[in-house]
Amino acid sequence: MKRLRCAALLWDQLLPIRHSGTRPFLPHHIGRTPHFAATTTIATTTNPRPLSTSAGNRDSATAPASASAEPPDPEPPQATPPPPPPPPQTEPTTLPPCRSPTTSAKLAALHARLSLHPKFPVQTLARALIHPSADPNPLFNNRPLASLGSALINYYATEWLLCTYPRLPTEVLRAALSAYVGEKALAAMGREWGVESAFEPKADVDAGLLQFKRLPPGPEMEASGYKPWQERGERWVQGVAEEEAIASLVTSTFAGVYLHEGLGPVKQFFRQHVLSRRLDVDKLFDFVQPTRELSSLCSREGFEPPVARHIGETGKRSIAPVFIVGVYSGLEKIGEGHGGSKDEARIRAATNALKGWYLYSPAPQVDLPSKTDDDPRASFRPAVIDAGEVIV
Amino acid sequence: MPVSALRAVSKSQNGVGAFILQCKRMEFNFCDWAGSSKGMRHDRSFLKHSLSQFARQNPQIEIIVAPRPNKIPIIRGTYINGREKVIPVDGLEIQQILQKAQLLRNSSGTKLKRITRPVISLNESVRGIFSPFHGKKHVI
Repeated sequence: MKRLRCAALLWDQLLPIRHSGTRPFLPHHIGRTPHFAATTTIATTTNPRPLSTSAGNRDSATAPASASAEPPDPEPPQATPPPPPPPPQTEPTTLPPCRSPTTSAKLAALHARLSLHPKFPVQTLARALIHPSADPNPLFNNRPLASLGSALINYYATEWLLCTYPRLPTEVLRAALSAYVGEKALAAMGREWGVESAFEPKADVDAGLLQFKRLPPGPEMEASGYKPWQERGERWVQGVAEEEAIASLVTSTFAGVYLHEGLGPVKQFFRQHVLSRRLDVDKLFDFVQPTRELSSLCSREGFEPPVARHIGETGKRSIAPVFIVGVYSGLEKIGEGHGGSKDEARIRAATNALKGWYLYSPAPQVDLPSKTDDDPRASFRPAVIDAGEVIV
Repeated sequence: MPVSALRAVSKSQNGVGAFILQCKRMEFNFCDWAGSSKGMRHDRSFLKHSLSQFARQNPQIEIIVAPRPNKIPIIRGTYINGREKVIPVDGLEIQQILQKAQLLRNSSGTKLKRITRPVISLNESVRGIFSPFHGKKHVI
């Protein structure tokens, strides 16, 4: 399948640190410090960025501190001598142990909270926590993982929805997909995993914190809508919303499960984390002129034209009447609705009839197309493929 | 007109699929000088005796141990919903402190609330709400 071929091509690019379990994780924005040099003898090929970048980071960190020291004392600049220039900056000599993925308590806790298999190394999880806005180098950020993971998640969610509700209209299908695996849903999922964000992606940030560049405060940015990924890359320079960063973490974790554990585990991970969520698909419908749509549906399917009939009522002349109306196709009642007026009841009956058609679900044990990914020779019973929604 | 759709976000049902322990971090604070911290800090005490086993049994919890001078010893639990629960453990012995730690571990971070109904569920009632128009009609 195209998805798996793509994953195979990306294998080497996605996991540069796969082969050596003892190689510590080196983000680009820290230089070669004595702390790391003492424990490892790797060549500097893993760190392609020059040291001047890390110096630039530190200068920007210290500049606001010195600037804030100046304003409180503007009065006697002539009397006191000018403050001595800051001492020449040396490289950071030690980083706190929480910076390394192997010794970070937060990262280990996140790994255990998700019940990830020991085959899934903490280094990949640490990488999944780094959004491209924090580190543009694709070898060290979660961009490749996130794109693979998002392909997997969207594929599994789509196939499940199409097999469970074959007659769902396209718009409702898209809404259901967005409710299960859209950005907001993934962000909610990430928050429920207990992911915390770093204030700023700096060198001494805990490896278990989500790192991304925050949007500066100000007027709300315009909705981006659909943008090709090249354009989206430029948008990261100004910062991203936290939701987007958390969503990228979730998809990257899925990719990590697939790459380190395999197809079966990632499907199980999907079932446990995404499919276990609760969504009332019938509440996603938003009908306009349901009686007209029902009429078109019946004529397309060759049913008798729908007729609304009054079934029962109470309190007709009171302040709170209740009318029950049924929609019949011939002798068979296809929908029923109640309302405060006969019209309202008729409309509700039509929507219920349409929902009865669109929410058809075949027997629970439906074969998903991805069943053949594991074993191409497994028996596969194709799912129902519907003619499509009604053209009104 | 074609059907349009309303946007929604699915709700999590913790435990239906994967279970995420709600307690994500526990901080053990004690004072090196005061006597009420004896259960926490002395030899054959909680920190030296029971904490490592507790941490091993709960790998999902990030455990921090820090001195907090001139204050009573506390256990502070942080939960996924952002809330914190603090339990003072001054004067308690090892087993009692362990009990408090277990209490924090077993809790979700929500506020304590009184439950009056026997069943709380997202599903509608199985038999439906009464309607005089459906079912066996009563004959007068």
